[in-house]
Amino acid sequence: MSDPVAARRAAALQLTCALAGLLLVPLALPVANRVLNAPQLQQTYLPALEGPRERLPFDSNPIAELAAMNPGYVVIGDSMAGSRIDPKRLSQLSGKSIAPLLQAGTGPAWWYLALKNWVIPSGIRPRCTFIFFRDTNLTNALFRLDEQYRWNVDKVAHEREDEVNAVIASRSGGALYHVRAAIDRVYQASETREWLEPAVNEWPARLLVPYRRQRAAFLSQMNERLGLSHLRPMDAADIQAADDRDANFARYVDKSFLPLMLRETRQAGLTLCFVRVQRRPLGGRPPYQSPALRRYIAALQAHVEANGALFHDDTGDPWQALDLYGDGDHLSRDGRLRYTEIFYNRMRPLFP
Amino acid sequence: MIFHSLDFIVFFTIVVALYWRLPHRRQNVLLLIASYMFYGYVHPWFLILIAISTTIDYCAARGMERWPARRRAFLWMSIVSNFGMLGFFKYYNFFIDNVAAVLQTIGIQPHLPVLRVLLPVGISFYTFQAMSYTIDVYRRELRARRSLLDLAVFISFFPHLVAGPIQRASYLLPQVEGERRLSLPQLSSGFLLICWGFFKKLVIADNVGIIANKVFALADPSFEILWAGVFAFAIQIYSDFSAYTDIARGTSRWLGFELTQNFDHPYLARTPADFWRRWNISLSTWFRDYVYIPLGGSRATGARWVRNVIVTFVLSGLWHGASWNYVLWGLYHGILLVLTRAHRILRPAAPPARAWLRIPQVIGMFALTLVGWLLFRETDLSSIVRDLGLSPWQSTPLERQTGLYLFLLAFLYSIPLWMQSIWVELRRGIEREPAVVPAWRGAALRALACGAAFMAILVLRSRTSLDFIYFRF
Repeated sequence: MSDPVAARRAAALQLTCALAGLLLVPLALPVANRVLNAPQLQQTYLPALEGPRERLPFDSNPIAELAAMNPGYVVIGDSMAGSRIDPKRLSQLSGKSIAPLLQAGTGPAWWYLALKNWVIPSGIRPRCTFIFFRDTNLTNALFRLDEQYRWNVDKVAHEREDEVNAVIASRSGGALYHVRAAIDRVYQASETREWLEPAVNEWPARLLVPYRRQRAAFLSQMNERLGLSHLRPMDAADIQAADDRDANFARYVDKSFLPLMLRETRQAGLTLCFVRVQRRPLGGRPPYQSPALRRYIAALQAHVEANGALFHDDTGDPWQALDLYGDGDHLSRDGRLRYTEIFYNRMRPLFP
Repeated sequence: MIFHSLDFIVFFTIVVALYWRLPHRRQNVLLLIASYMFYGYVHPWFLILIAISTTIDYCAARGMERWPARRRAFLWMSIVSNFGMLGFFKYYNFFIDNVAAVLQTIGIQPHLPVLRVLLPVGISFYTFQAMSYTIDVYRRELRARRSLLDLAVFISFFPHLVAGPIQRASYLLPQVEGERRLSLPQLSSGFLLICWGFFKKLVIADNVGIIANKVFALADPSFEILWAGVFAFAIQIYSDFSAYTDIARGTSRWLGFELTQNFDHPYLARTPADFWRRWNISLSTWFRDYVYIPLGGSRATGARWVRNVIVTFVLSGLWHGASWNYVLWGLYHGILLVLTRAHRILRPAAPPARAWLRIPQVIGMFALTLVGWLLFRETDLSSIVRDLGLSPWQSTPLERQTGLYLFLLAFLYSIPLWMQSIWVELRRGIEREPAVVPAWRGAALRALACGAAFMAILVLRSRTSLDFIYFRF
């Protein structure tokens, strides 16, 4: 290929074919799906984030349970709230029933949807609804929306959640998700993943355990062996590095669920209180807060209070020392009881 | 900005579209703006450091030429400022922690200030690249550049800024200064490299990375589970890092640049020296030329040579991160190299390896490499001791099966990697007349390869997207 013209021509042909191959070869996927009778999947309530997939149904039971319980207070949050609030103890202290809407591994999308789709439709009028969060969680709309967390969100989401989707789209590349969704639609990538991924993951198990029933038992035992109870007890567990990137309130507030939470509770006439938990103290001192994070928290508090909600910050509370803590930002079992009492005393005006 | 994001695809498309419409000098201006945008996309303050580093190196090199009698002083100025910034951001806390630990052992409770800032991404890479320029000017192997713009583009060139390959000034600067031409063969081969890079990152590295992360999060791994995790990590780190290099080289070709190769199928190496000729070549050669050879290199004999090797490898380990496990990893590879040389000295007349012996040699070297990766991945020294003490006799049947399952799954994802390596290796030894391959056949193969890579990315990419590992260094 010493002739430069011929070399250029060959390169042009190769580049054109490579581009064409890139676009055309994956068209084999819809054909494969048809041949293998892959199920047609429904569009999800989060098209800005994902293609079609099978989802868990909306869980409507909490609505009836809340209505029957008619709690004095509602607590919404993830394991931060779960490892801090002992509903029984708080109920003893306040003399009112407490409804804990707590789910580990959740973020602001789940908290907002629990408020909108469970608390408000139940028609209850609690004295206060507390939402527990860490640092910049409230304005980080994508926090805990990775695929492994979406099953949790399914249970609080209806078939369509257009406002949630719009918030996520505004935070994750805007209208570009339409491009990704179109690619997904044309090549039926989600439908293919639905059957291909389990097949790939099961292939080694098929080699090792040929019989289906034993294989299922093996996979279940293996998951148990690699599960939570075998993980390292790390001080760093569930501590995400504080990154000033998210500590920009003005930039992210309108791309978050916070305005929706405030609007929904205002319209429903509920009292909402945001509780910022203290992260793990370091060296006997409260956790470090960067100047950007301090500014962020001040702006968050001002915004929340200007919109009729309450705000409480645990950070710097001298009673919340390291001896309360277990793993990472979680409190220990004993610390949970003590925190509940501290919380009750700090929030006394809300517990008349 | 990261390669595997829509932001980068949009950014790169705009840069390429503008780039080829501009004359050469303006192309460099655009490259500098694009590189600074790329680097400062998330944390704009990172730009201050790279700008300071560039300015100091520019002044130091110019000073060396203008006042030759003070060359050494200018070199020290460059070394102190570059390594000072690197040391401050990367090693300060490590240093403070160790000082505090030593003081505590003698009964003093120190209250030393801890640095609470992010490590600027890629600082180790561009610092080494900038240092190659001033050292080469000092050695009079390169003339100092008059154009600050060209030097700034050389240091900040965005395709390889964050994770290499580290380019030498003598190689990349002439490309920055020279006219670049839009070449179809470069575009075509660059496109293929980008596709292969994305495939390696999104399909191989991210999927096996989940296995490695799972295993290294266990408090009580069994022997089989641990080593399956180490195997997965070996695949992850190679496919991840080489993916970055491939994407960097591919995108550079679209801008008319050629970056050096950084990997040459390292897991088919037969000896430690062979491994280091194939793994992170740009960093290995940097340490060889700027540390090992100035220390005396292979000209030294006996204990001095051993010292040279060990110092070079320990520094190379420390370059990766401020932690004792990286030092241990470097030391381990240094010792391997010393031992193989000692073996050669003791048995100088060993016959050349027969072809069939290469397979056990490759497997043996891969096993040694895995031990190294265990030291690299396990950051806690007590965990390393525990891991090395594990025995297969202590495992339950379930743990054996689990280990085998994880190994097979990691192996399944890595098959394309092994196939490519073996195919390249087998063809390497064959010398024959260049076959006259019809252009359509090459084109059809490329079409299939790109299509298959994109198809796999669509349906097999990991559900958890992980950052490139070498971003941390």
